[in-house]
Amino acid sequence: MKRSPAAAIVQRLLRPDDVVVCGLGSTGFAWSEQQPQQLTYWASDPMGIWPSFALGLALAQPKRRVIFLEGDGDLLMNLQVLLTIAGAAPANLKMAVFHNGSYASAGGSPLPGMPGADLASICRGAGVATAEAADEAEAERALAALLAEPGLGAVILRLEEEPPADSPHGPWSQAEDRAGFMRSLLGDRPFG
Amino acid sequence: VRASPTSVYHPQVPLTPAERCAEAIIAGLQAAGIDLVASLPDKWLTPLAERIDARPAFTHVRLASEDDGVGVCAGAFVGGRRAALICQNAGLLLAANALAGMALHHQTPFLALAAHRGAYDDSFFYQVYKGQTVEGVLHALEVPFYVVDDESQLGLVERAAKQAYLARRPVVLLLRRQALLG
Repeated sequence: MKRSPAAAIVQRLLRPDDVVVCGLGSTGFAWSEQQPQQLTYWASDPMGIWPSFALGLALAQPKRRVIFLEGDGDLLMNLQVLLTIAGAAPANLKMAVFHNGSYASAGGSPLPGMPGADLASICRGAGVATAEAADEAEAERALAALLAEPGLGAVILRLEEEPPADSPHGPWSQAEDRAGFMRSLLGDRPFG
Repeated sequence: VRASPTSVYHPQVPLTPAERCAEAIIAGLQAAGIDLVASLPDKWLTPLAERIDARPAFTHVRLASEDDGVGVCAGAFVGGRRAALICQNAGLLLAANALAGMALHHQTPFLALAAHRGAYDDSFFYQVYKGQTVEGVLHALEVPFYVVDDESQLGLVERAAKQAYLARRPVVLLLRRQALLG
């Protein structure tokens, strides 16, 4: 399975009012290719901080589904966050891990421990219900099941090696994008 | 019968000095509209964190690493909810990358309450480096911080949180032993 069809399956299964947190690197590249209509928070550096960011957003917006698209390299940088997420267990947080086994946006160097390590087992061991998909049909089934019912969960999307790709950089700073995201999500509700 | 550290506030039961400090901090958080707390324990902080955990009005997220608390607070903020991070000052050293790249770069305000270990009120040699380095690191990061010496200064909790949201950046309170344990 290639990253772009995997992202297309996610896009097809989401509702217009779902909120997406999209990790950086090739995951961001694949999601941006879909020109998603869902409100999306685009990650930047630092790597490793986005699972906890998605958790905070899910806890703040319990009536919206928060879909977290995460690269495997990003997840590896802070694996302990899986236990924090499992402990909080927001029913509206759904994780899709783009697992190509490499730092694709940095040139394709392999992740440590690959291919022997088992990300799905790591997630399950931390307390996150996790399915795995090796092709598009499995991805469709696993993601549909994840989205069908309330409850924290993850799907590991096993991807083949592809040429390096990086998430696109728009004209706005992250602070400006953050403000735009908040105005779309919250309207002009005061926060300061 | 003494209240256990995890019991909710009960006005008939006299509070220990640590519980009194915790109640003052909780009142400050609530006055600032904060109802989500991400924490990682320190011996000085446990009375506070467990009292927060016992309060249904708060969502309490238990962290395994302090930089995840920066992420939780940032995500909560963009979702319209106010959050605080409670940790040891060494956790702010660990979270320096998240503070710079997430909280400052994306301008996601939150209040951090950190036990200020390693100064004159501490008695462990291995805590000393924290007291010696944390203020300099926060200064280098350009994260505003205030040292809170004792219970009489805990009104800063509400005011520092309000400063964070006004300035769109994290604000840190470094809490000395007397500000947490009385």
